[in-house]
Amino acid sequence: MSFREKTAWVTLCAIVAVSLLYVFHMPTPFVPNPTLHVVHAMGASVLAYLVIEAVAWLVLRWRYPRDAREPKDEREKLIDLKAIRIAYYVLATASLLGIFITLHVANAGDVAMGMAVFLAFLLSQVVKHAVRIVYYRRGF
Amino acid sequence: MAPTVVTNSIRRLRFEHDEMTQQDLAERVGVTRQTVNAIETGKYSPSLEVAFRMAEVFGVRVDEVFHYGPAAKKR
Repeated sequence: MSFREKTAWVTLCAIVAVSLLYVFHMPTPFVPNPTLHVVHAMGASVLAYLVIEAVAWLVLRWRYPRDAREPKDEREKLIDLKAIRIAYYVLATASLLGIFITLHVANAGDVAMGMAVFLAFLLSQVVKHAVRIVYYRRGF
Repeated sequence: MAPTVVTNSIRRLRFEHDEMTQQDLAERVGVTRQTVNAIETGKYSPSLEVAFRMAEVFGVRVDEVFHYGPAAKKR
């Protein structure tokens, strides 16, 4: 398994773990003044993600110093571009869908809409790293 | 149009060059070992530049390393 595939696995697992924690402990946006709760939850989630990612990256770099120093070659760059392209469509679709649902179906406010866009971003990141792993393993 | 494939003789050429490892070839070509493995197993078709560099490392023409077209399967 290449160093980049390892980092893709680490990032994917970190995003999924933090997202699940966030979703299950997410303060409801349907309270009178939800903004502060939501900001706290999002801030804690982002911080937890950054800590996990940094620690995992340092461990990987320590265990595979030679692989970590190697620049990306053409195949790895192409895999990144393909993954980003697919993630872009996921982000655009999920964001628009989230905005439409929060505004016109759930009749929720701005905070709920912001959360929907944030979740769309998380989903796009999950897709990006999952696609990277698939391309690394299956080829194209 | 009949489907075409790109096959290669990298495994054989490595064997003929003192059993050169994928890592050695990767370092001389300037890609990662995983990319050499992906090319060798047909999971990735390299750019022209990498193809020419591989041929240069083996000291052969590029069409002796990569084969294209329906007939390529027979090699």
